[in-house]
Amino acid sequence: MKHSLAQKKPRIKQLPDNDGYFGRFGGKFVPEILRPALDELEEAYDKLLKDPDFVAELDRELKDYAGRPTPLYFARNLTDHYGKARIYLKREDLAHTGAHKINNTIGQILLAKRMGKSRIIAETGAGQHGVATATVAAKAGLECCIYMGEEDIERQAPNVMRMKMLGAEVRTVYSGTKTLKDATNEAMRDWLTNVRNTHYIIGSVVGPHPFPMMVRNFQSVIGKEALEQIRQKEDRLPDYLIACVGGGSNAIGLFYPFLSFETVKMIGVEAAGMGMDTGRHAASLTAGSPGIFHGMLTYLLQDEDGQVQLPYSISAGLDYPGVGAEHSYLKETDRAQYVAVTDEQALEAAFLLSRLEGIIPALESAHALAYLETIMPKTDRDRIVIVNLSGRGDKDMQTYLSFLER
Amino acid sequence: MGKRLRERIERNIEQGKKMLSLFLTAGYPKPEMTNDIIRACDKAGVDFIELGIPFSDPIADGPVIQKASDIALKNGINLNAIFETVKKVREESDIPIILMGYVNPVFQMGFERFFETCANTGVDGLILPDFPIEESSTYFPLLKKLDIDLIHLIAPNTKPERIEKIDRASTAFVYCTAYTGVTGKDNRPLPETERFLREIGQNLNHPVFIGFGIKTAADFQYYTRYAAGVIVGSAFIKYLSETDGKEIDSAVRSFISNIR
Repeated sequence: MKHSLAQKKPRIKQLPDNDGYFGRFGGKFVPEILRPALDELEEAYDKLLKDPDFVAELDRELKDYAGRPTPLYFARNLTDHYGKARIYLKREDLAHTGAHKINNTIGQILLAKRMGKSRIIAETGAGQHGVATATVAAKAGLECCIYMGEEDIERQAPNVMRMKMLGAEVRTVYSGTKTLKDATNEAMRDWLTNVRNTHYIIGSVVGPHPFPMMVRNFQSVIGKEALEQIRQKEDRLPDYLIACVGGGSNAIGLFYPFLSFETVKMIGVEAAGMGMDTGRHAASLTAGSPGIFHGMLTYLLQDEDGQVQLPYSISAGLDYPGVGAEHSYLKETDRAQYVAVTDEQALEAAFLLSRLEGIIPALESAHALAYLETIMPKTDRDRIVIVNLSGRGDKDMQTYLSFLER
Repeated sequence: MGKRLRERIERNIEQGKKMLSLFLTAGYPKPEMTNDIIRACDKAGVDFIELGIPFSDPIADGPVIQKASDIALKNGINLNAIFETVKKVREESDIPIILMGYVNPVFQMGFERFFETCANTGVDGLILPDFPIEESSTYFPLLKKLDIDLIHLIAPNTKPERIEKIDRASTAFVYCTAYTGVTGKDNRPLPETERFLREIGQNLNHPVFIGFGIKTAADFQYYTRYAAGVIVGSAFIKYLSETDGKEIDSAVRSFISNIR
């Protein structure tokens, strides 16, 4: 069965609303000090979207600097391995800096320059967003400071070196979990303090409005390209989109342009860590409940008193207790389905892809790949699956090697 | 009841008395001390209390209050424990109490239930910094009915038209931060901040209280030139951490005499 593209006119819902809500999720739950910065950002972003020079510059940067479009690769060996639906990989790992994160930082640095900001800050977990931010800040000639948890600095050492080489200051965060959650807290505290001259490049579709909308729009280049590419290669729509979800920027980037095509199933894969029953996981949508955190109302891992719980994942990029507000909306409206895979499953998937296709995926992306084990047996040969290969695995070699030596 | 808070503020303004409010994290340094500290504050002439609800991710707080919040959480403090403390204080003291904290614990309890429990236990006001007027305005009628004052914040970078809007939405007073940043910094006001403070002191319909980074008698003198009073938080928390074992009443008295 083929799904004709011509029959389905995109009817992408215009969300968020003016207050930054996706259904009941989202909003702007921030201290008053940040309000002017959010208003300024919203205004600048609205203006720039209507500015043909900005749109052209963004396109040019994505093409010539980031190396877009990234290929949509037919993974023949992986497809043969399962013997079911045809598997395509959206190769965000081939974008400059090695992950999809650059799509967002290129957009936000142009905004920061137009707003006249002299300093850039960001939080990072796996270090991919930190590297992508340090990269564009270097090119733009702006001062750059990256907050990273002590534990992540250890497990993602190569990315720390890259950020330093790019001229960024990497500030170690010792508080709380010493991972992405507390790196985000510290970045917010910095922004509260230096809000006049500093732009905070949030790395995912999280935080107060307009960040979830803006980051989604910058990342939706992934889905736009994939839609065009699958049309050229297969002359039809895919049946499944699969992407990993920490904050959820690569997933929403792939999903968003497909939202109005009702036949396209979307699956977000969260980190089940050591197993959902151990409580040591980072699966906010699978096991959390709505809460207000980092400026938005969204699914959150928390206790009954509303204290945020410590997430855990072997993958630093997924090790976050919240999730993008739009994912909460997609879950609640059943437009997307959210599942979780364990550390172990992700590690095995990373090795499978490496051995079959000669591609070493990031640990984050390996979570999306790991779900193929579950979904593929249920598919038919005439179906199409697109997996977002959101990043490459160089940064994870230490973790991979210790798995190998076990 | 907000009336208690508003009357206290009005009376002091009429009498030309500049006010001092203290912030303490509930359950810090020890859960059983909170009641005693609040009563000591009352006896020592503190005008009202801000009782901090501890939270796992206090993004607007500096290291001192972050640490107090962590310890309070380890001490098992939650909203129920805080309401029990307020009830206990109310057996012997009429000092206005404002609960201050991040919005998620309140959201988990349920806004209506939380506001009603505040009214029933003798809480007078609330400060929820990550619950700005756009998000909170649906609850204004309920808060009015329950006579709970939701205090809104402004900062030196808040735009004039927004200050006006916040002033209109306010009851009791407007909380102005002394700078842009987190609580408890060492701060020397910039000339433009001074201009800003002078303007809001003159132009707002509600009394202004200034908080963040206020530590000394000189700070008190300086900020009360523009405002009805000040709020001292981190400096008091830090002092409490150093008063272990001392007699609370005299310790609090001595802290206050060094400021006002």
